[in-house]
Amino acid sequence: MVATAKEAFGEIAPDFSRPSRARALLRLNFSRDSVTGNTFLADSFQEAPLKVVRAFTMEDGTALAHLHNVSGGLLGGDRLAMQIKLSSCAQVQLTTTGATRIYRRRQEYSATTQCIEVSVGEGALLEYLPDATIPFAGARYLQRTSIDLADGAGMFWWEILAPGREARGELFEYEEFAMRTCVSVLGRRIAAENLCLRPNKENVSSLVRLGHYRYAATFYLCKVGLEAGAWRRAEDHLRELTAGMTRRGEILWGVSSLVAHGLVVRCLARNGREVLPGLQAIWRSAKRRLYDRAAIAPRKVN
Amino acid sequence: MKPARESIPLTPSEDLAHLRLLHLADSALPIGSLAHSFGLETLVSEELLQVSDLPEFLHGYLQEGGMLEAVACREAFNLVQGDDEAFPAARWIEINDCLSALKPARESRAASATLGRNFLHAALGLGDFRVLREAGEASIESGSLIHQSTAFGLVSGALAFDETRAVLAYLHQMSATLISACQRLMPLGQNAAMRILWNLKPAIVDVAASSASFTLETVSCTMPLLDWGAMEHPELATRLFIS
Repeated sequence: MVATAKEAFGEIAPDFSRPSRARALLRLNFSRDSVTGNTFLADSFQEAPLKVVRAFTMEDGTALAHLHNVSGGLLGGDRLAMQIKLSSCAQVQLTTTGATRIYRRRQEYSATTQCIEVSVGEGALLEYLPDATIPFAGARYLQRTSIDLADGAGMFWWEILAPGREARGELFEYEEFAMRTCVSVLGRRIAAENLCLRPNKENVSSLVRLGHYRYAATFYLCKVGLEAGAWRRAEDHLRELTAGMTRRGEILWGVSSLVAHGLVVRCLARNGREVLPGLQAIWRSAKRRLYDRAAIAPRKVN
Repeated sequence: MKPARESIPLTPSEDLAHLRLLHLADSALPIGSLAHSFGLETLVSEELLQVSDLPEFLHGYLQEGGMLEAVACREAFNLVQGDDEAFPAARWIEINDCLSALKPARESRAASATLGRNFLHAALGLGDFRVLREAGEASIESGSLIHQSTAFGLVSGALAFDETRAVLAYLHQMSATLISACQRLMPLGQNAAMRILWNLKPAIVDVAASSASFTLETVSCTMPLLDWGAMEHPELATRLFIS
């Protein structure tokens, strides 16, 4: 992990020739109490607008933290970084308090950038279950996520991309949405995604890209150490579930094994209503299969 | 002309290099490429993709998947150094691992790896190329896959082809292979297929040129619907293709 927010921002290589607004780093280190077995927020560093008020202990000892952006959303020129570290056997659930709004970028500001670095220690489990990200008209957003999983580590990680403020008829009016995600196990990549949508320059409705669908979601389900055969069986198991949730023309679900240690689920949907419930259904089923434990939905503030 | 970098029988003239490139980039090269649709079969089966969509679809495919493969092809091409230089096996494995990670659908990833392995073996059958032998051995030892675009790039570097011409040839055969798959999946005649490939050539040139300014770390590839098609391909009741 990089030591400072400045280094983290540098990794995304934003346009530094334009003025920025907020530069903020949120660092969260979680540990597991060896006596109680509960995970707690051992250490944090927080700069506005990024904020975590506290970590709640869930009934299975998992620490639940809500990621807040106290400015209400991401503004043009914001350069944000999050560093999340789970030490050995820690169990953490991270969620947002609502959709992440990415506001229109004023011409004088650079793109909004966010760099997320995650380290999941041996035998630890991270559940990253945010609401959708909504890029407003004129928004330009670059996100880079790097996730390292140690031996025996697990992760459920989804991201949902909305087309804009759909209710007011704003569809794909953002300038650019780029999301680079890399998942590594013991230094070797098992999954990566370099997504970039520029609706003004490329046809997002191409059958290569989104077709006539508007929402896109990606869900990584990982547990380091399971052999390939177990993942193929898990893929078949989840495929039965996703087949029942797919409705041609409305919502599509696909599941596939990663190179090793996990699965990836893709969703494309005409509207966002069924995306989150679908992801939650997959999460519940996969957590039962991989961990023989119930998935406890995050308690929301709102 | 670049000097020959391998112990091939004679230093290739530009004409000879051109002929060799044409040979290796022929979509009929017996490596199995005609057995894969990379998710196209699902899109056709689901009646999402029609013949009238093909020019725009293939153009988009070149901009996304084509760009990614072109960048990988270039990166592998540039691994070939002088005769006395050690082959950078670690970087070769890293490039292929990166490409594997960027392919979310199991079947498409396996298809690319099968074609890459077959292509490398086919090239090794044409002469004793130290670089290719070491690359193959490093991949086996590490358990890393060899993708078609990286194998093509490495072989092209070993045979001292021109880098941009190699990328152009790779993209052209990739497009020809996809169109060939479409001919078997859809009511697409020979003449219409020929026109589509002919009209794609300017886009191939554009993508090949643009690919020089990216690395695998910076290039984007956004194909969620095609990825979905590739993920769902194992579930098709009747399949013409392996992927």
